[in-house]
Amino acid sequence: MTADTALWYASRATGVVCLLLMTAVVLLGILVTRQGRLPGLPRFAVTGLHRNLSLLAVLFLVIHVLTAILDPFVAIGLAATVVPLASPYRPVWIGLGAVAFDLMAALVLTSLARARIGRRAWRAVHWLAYACWPLSLAHGLGSSGDLRSGPLLWLSAACAAAVAAALAVRALAWAGQVPPASRAAAELARQEAAARQQAAAARPEAAVRQEDLLARRQAVLGGQDTALARHHAALAAGTGLAAREAGR
Amino acid sequence: MTVTSPAGPVPPGLSARPPGPALPRLLPPGGRPGGLAGHLAVLGPLPYRGGPGRLIADVAASGLTGRGGAAFPVARKLAAVAAGRRPVVVGNGAESEPLSGKDAALLRAAPHLVLDGLQLAAEAVGACRAILAVHPGGYAGGALTGALAQRQAAGLDRVPVELAEATGGFLTGQETALVSALNGGLGRPAFTPPRVSERGVGGHPTLVQNVETLSHLALIARYGAAWFRSVGTGAEPGSMLATAWQADGRAAVTEATLGTPLGRLLDLRGPVQAVLVGGYHGTWLPAGQAAGLALSNASLHPAGAAAGAGVLAALPAGRCGLAETARVTRYLALASSGQCGPCLNGLPRIAAGLAELAGARPRPTVIHDLERWAGLTSGRGACHHPDGTVRFVRSALVTFAAETAAHAAGWCTAPGAAPFLLVPADQTAASGGRR
Repeated sequence: MTADTALWYASRATGVVCLLLMTAVVLLGILVTRQGRLPGLPRFAVTGLHRNLSLLAVLFLVIHVLTAILDPFVAIGLAATVVPLASPYRPVWIGLGAVAFDLMAALVLTSLARARIGRRAWRAVHWLAYACWPLSLAHGLGSSGDLRSGPLLWLSAACAAAVAAALAVRALAWAGQVPPASRAAAELARQEAAARQQAAAARPEAAVRQEDLLARRQAVLGGQDTALARHHAALAAGTGLAAREAGR
Repeated sequence: MTVTSPAGPVPPGLSARPPGPALPRLLPPGGRPGGLAGHLAVLGPLPYRGGPGRLIADVAASGLTGRGGAAFPVARKLAAVAAGRRPVVVGNGAESEPLSGKDAALLRAAPHLVLDGLQLAAEAVGACRAILAVHPGGYAGGALTGALAQRQAAGLDRVPVELAEATGGFLTGQETALVSALNGGLGRPAFTPPRVSERGVGGHPTLVQNVETLSHLALIARYGAAWFRSVGTGAEPGSMLATAWQADGRAAVTEATLGTPLGRLLDLRGPVQAVLVGGYHGTWLPAGQAAGLALSNASLHPAGAAAGAGVLAALPAGRCGLAETARVTRYLALASSGQCGPCLNGLPRIAAGLAELAGARPRPTVIHDLERWAGLTSGRGACHHPDGTVRFVRSALVTFAAETAAHAAGWCTAPGAAPFLLVPADQTAASGGRR
């Protein structure tokens, strides 16, 4: 390995490390939501992990870009690292990398200024992080032959498969999610069923009584709503005492 | 009702017309005829003070507290909101407590008094927006639109009033939930800080006051703090509206001075076993204990209760307190907005446990489980819904201890009796999947 090839190797290696780190960050982003979390890790640790891995990815990205510019093997100008299609060498594929680099810069800057620009604006920009990952993967596959064969191909495929699997898990969880308004009702139904089951296991004859009571309660509850509305109307009308209907 | 000494001398700068008898102050008997003209003829013109902040000293001297349930000093809220930029004032008539009927009664009988209070509060904090939120029942909406039109024609209102219908449900009256709904959100309670007095409707500092509080404010602006303090107790001056549910099933909204014995609001001489003080976030008290207490926090706090929004209900002897509590707790569990874990997981569990306790021969472990869950649930939510529900349940376990023992032995005071306490019907059906 000569001085020339050192830069070449460094650029390739940091690129691959970058891809791995970004895959990990994207996986954390997809899997960890307000409800979901990683087993054994509190939520603040997950956010910390996400942030530190991202910063590490940025560090490797900077080294990757610098070594790529300095590497005399191919001529990539300084401008081409930020301006898409400005590179004489494989303009499209290097351009994708440039776009990803720009996005990363935007993410870092908005995260640093998050307190100043407000949470909503920060969040809108942060969604672009999801675009970074496929851009980087495409850039890697297109701009060098390394990723297209051998162990590195398997590595890229594994990264893609992991992200696809995480997306599938998340989509399934989203589809099965109970809307907040009916969460309490769902939980209550579950608890009532469990209580009935336990009571039935303790004393089979009690289950019948409970079922019976529940059915009777439901039967009167229907009529109660109108009774309540009638009472409120009477109270509001200021008719003084509102007599409850006979038999109650 | 208690009628005490007439008002003292009217301070300078206040309405020259002396108010009539001390009570009723808010609810004129038989309503006030003549709409806006009648209202102004009796109470005198709207005493604008000509600039923000000037009314606050009067309100502070009067010792007026919020009548929505929390009894927070109104002057402190006014001062906090007045310090902010472009504040908003919200009159809260959402009245989400099923047993309460006082806000609706007030909006029906004296809409102009509420609207006066809204204008004066808006002036006091320097607000440029005023919103009146009412119950979705619709009984107030039509009449209020007419009242607002009358005021507009008379050029009385300096800040235009927007009418808004609360979305219904037990939690909608909570101020962060109300502000969330007014902002076009889901109407769920929010974590504080920021308080709505810092960031509320449209992100502006917002004053949320119950409509009864605003009415008292309108009278204080006219007659002064000394007049307001001429009834009630020294620590808790003035009067409040109460909704009293008698043991025979009749209910009425009455105005009472703070410190009125509960026995004068509820007929406790008949076959009454317990009294619910403060509505469904309130406290069950044995009838004998309640008879010795008065409608004031100084009297009720030592008993673990609070005057709240003035809801009182007497439970007749021929009903099962556990069954009543179980049914109401089920309603409260369903009313959870489903956003905080302790409430979402705890209340349904407590409700199911109470249902078992209200049935025949519950497992002996249930009561211990209830105590444990109650401890795990309270004090951990964004709002006080879990705390209020737990207080209600705990007081039931104490007050109906004899009934609990009877159920354990397979007996019940009123097996299969029709429900006594009214709850709205269950509208949220349990459903899997996303809407």
